Amino acid sequence: MSFISNYRINQVRNDLELLLILANRDISVRYKQTFLGIIWAIIKPLVTMSVFLFAFKNVSNIKDLGGYPIQLVIFSGVLFWNFFANAFQFSSNSILTNSNLISKVYFPRIIIPISALSVPFIDFIIGFIIYLILSLSLNYPISYQIMYLPVVFLFLALFSLGLGLIFSSFAIKHRDFLQIIPLIVQYGFFITPIIYTSNELISKSWFQYYLYINPLVGLVEFFRFSLIRGYHILSFYDFFISATISIVVFILGLFIFKYKEDTFVDHL
Amino acid sequence: MNSIVSVSSISKKYQLPLSNKEVSKSLVSRIFNKKESEEYWAVKDVSFTLNKGDKLGIIGNNGAGKSTLLKILSKITKPTTGKVDIRGKVASLLEVGTGFHPELSGRDNIYLNGAILGMSKKQITQQFDEIVEFAGDQIIKFLDTPVKRYSSGMYVRLGFAISAHLDPDILIVDEVLAVGDADFQKKSLGKMKEVASKEKTILFVSHNLTAVANLCNKTLHLEKGYVKQFGETGEVLNNYLSAMQNNLLEQSFDHIEEAPGNDLVRLKYAKLTPALIGNQLIADVRNSLKIDIEFWNLLDDQNLNISLHIFASTGECIFNVGTQPKLLNKGVVQASLIIPGYFLNDGNYLVAFMIVKDKSIVLFNFEEVFNFEIADYREDTTWYGKWPGYVRPQFDFPIQQVSQKI
Repeated sequence: MSFISNYRINQVRNDLELLLILANRDISVRYKQTFLGIIWAIIKPLVTMSVFLFAFKNVSNIKDLGGYPIQLVIFSGVLFWNFFANAFQFSSNSILTNSNLISKVYFPRIIIPISALSVPFIDFIIGFIIYLILSLSLNYPISYQIMYLPVVFLFLALFSLGLGLIFSSFAIKHRDFLQIIPLIVQYGFFITPIIYTSNELISKSWFQYYLYINPLVGLVEFFRFSLIRGYHILSFYDFFISATISIVVFILGLFIFKYKEDTFVDHL
Repeated sequence: MNSIVSVSSISKKYQLPLSNKEVSKSLVSRIFNKKESEEYWAVKDVSFTLNKGDKLGIIGNNGAGKSTLLKILSKITKPTTGKVDIRGKVASLLEVGTGFHPELSGRDNIYLNGAILGMSKKQITQQFDEIVEFAGDQIIKFLDTPVKRYSSGMYVRLGFAISAHLDPDILIVDEVLAVGDADFQKKSLGKMKEVASKEKTILFVSHNLTAVANLCNKTLHLEKGYVKQFGETGEVLNNYLSAMQNNLLEQSFDHIEEAPGNDLVRLKYAKLTPALIGNQLIADVRNSLKIDIEFWNLLDDQNLNISLHIFASTGECIFNVGTQPKLLNKGVVQASLIIPGYFLNDGNYLVAFMIVKDKSIVLFNFEEVFNFEIADYREDTTWYGKWPGYVRPQFDFPIQQVSQKI
């Protein structure tokens, strides 16, 4: 008996090591053969923010969003969205891009989509540091609310992964699903309060239903709550709804993935 | 009771999409017409058990289900029905250097590939120097170079070196011996034998019967997904070889009415005779092959010649050889051809010939007159990979040192 459990523990430790090594692979390959390397992780969100700042200030003459500094609202939104978009896309594609591994060696398949979160996670950390610098330079430093950040981030990661698991499971047989992903990433950006706040939506009669359909609404607003001092637009209850839906999506993703993983190889 | 691998009647079904022609073109009919694919059993009702320390060779023609069986045993895919029970740590080597990332250095890839194959980080670190040493001096210099800059030889050597240091209870190998240069082959085979001598269980797929005979005590012969025979290696290989003798090597017709052909020509007799050496059972690359043909010519005063084609199992024509045209009368016509030894490579071949009038009009094409197999033969070799190509010439190819200066 003790032999069996020992064997199991070794197995789990090996699987964790494999997860880390695959994550490490993705991270170290990410900016290979680029001159600027990891600096790209800084440049990209800054450029996105600058473009919207330019449009808001010069074209629409908007100076602030809901009374909070426009730079912080947009940058935090972009930071949030970049993580979601990359985590969702990378994990959805992960099984197909690692098909050479899957068709030659057995290991728990779930390791692959999880390890796909590594690059978005590193980008997120770097973006977060930029955010800290930006908020200090605008005299709007973070407050104690930052302690909620790990919680929001956890739900965001689970939701992105859950969606990624669902899409990767179906995309192996029907590549149509790969066509849907860029649509979600592109247009989801505009129908989620990323470059605006929920203040503009909250009075609408359908808003409560919208919270059920798009859990990213509650998550992004609570994300801002943790980053921007005094930011408070949605209630904790609204966040609770979005968090619950995220968990449901994640568990659904796990089940679908578990059900489909044995036959992945037959469709590659 | 003490079986380490127990496979009970596993089957694996694949859905083959119908060829383009058969799939209805419009999207609407595709949605409503459900039968879009054909069923195909790659492995059917396969059972066997192995005890600890058994070395199993798995043989069979292409498409016999060997690769599918290995994939099921290594848990890469699930059988449609049946059960596999394996006790112990399994490592499967279906490829050398699985998961190597071209952008990463040799060092990083050792850790990556090792982890993918199921080694712990500690195990890899402990054996790191050994792995590098096994892979050869060249690798040491390039340890921190991305593997995309490696030659294919270096790549393969590094991949094999990692695999050779796995320490599983059960090892599943798919012809990875067929890699690298002769020197490295010798090293790998030595390593395989060393592993084999331990109390390890090995499952080994190979086209090469010599390698199976050398390494394995048990053999599983698959044919079209079914188990043809499972048992002691010597017995299974003997039956396999004598079954190969039943290739189509002779056709003979006593009565002209039954013979294939038409009103102009009919086949009377055709035979392929390999010049076997000693107690050989089937032809191998050394043997010359004699083809004798006799046919009935039903018209007088015809200017005829025979044009003979040899096809590979893939359907490609390997060569076409013809007799001189000759003015022939009604009656029996005979022709013979000798294909020298060391001409055709090992493999499956098909012979067809046609009788041609006036060098241009085909009177009749006799398709698939013979269907034969040529086995491999090598002396003093440590390399067991499939010899590439359709022909296997032995040209004079001298090599010498002309100077000691560089």
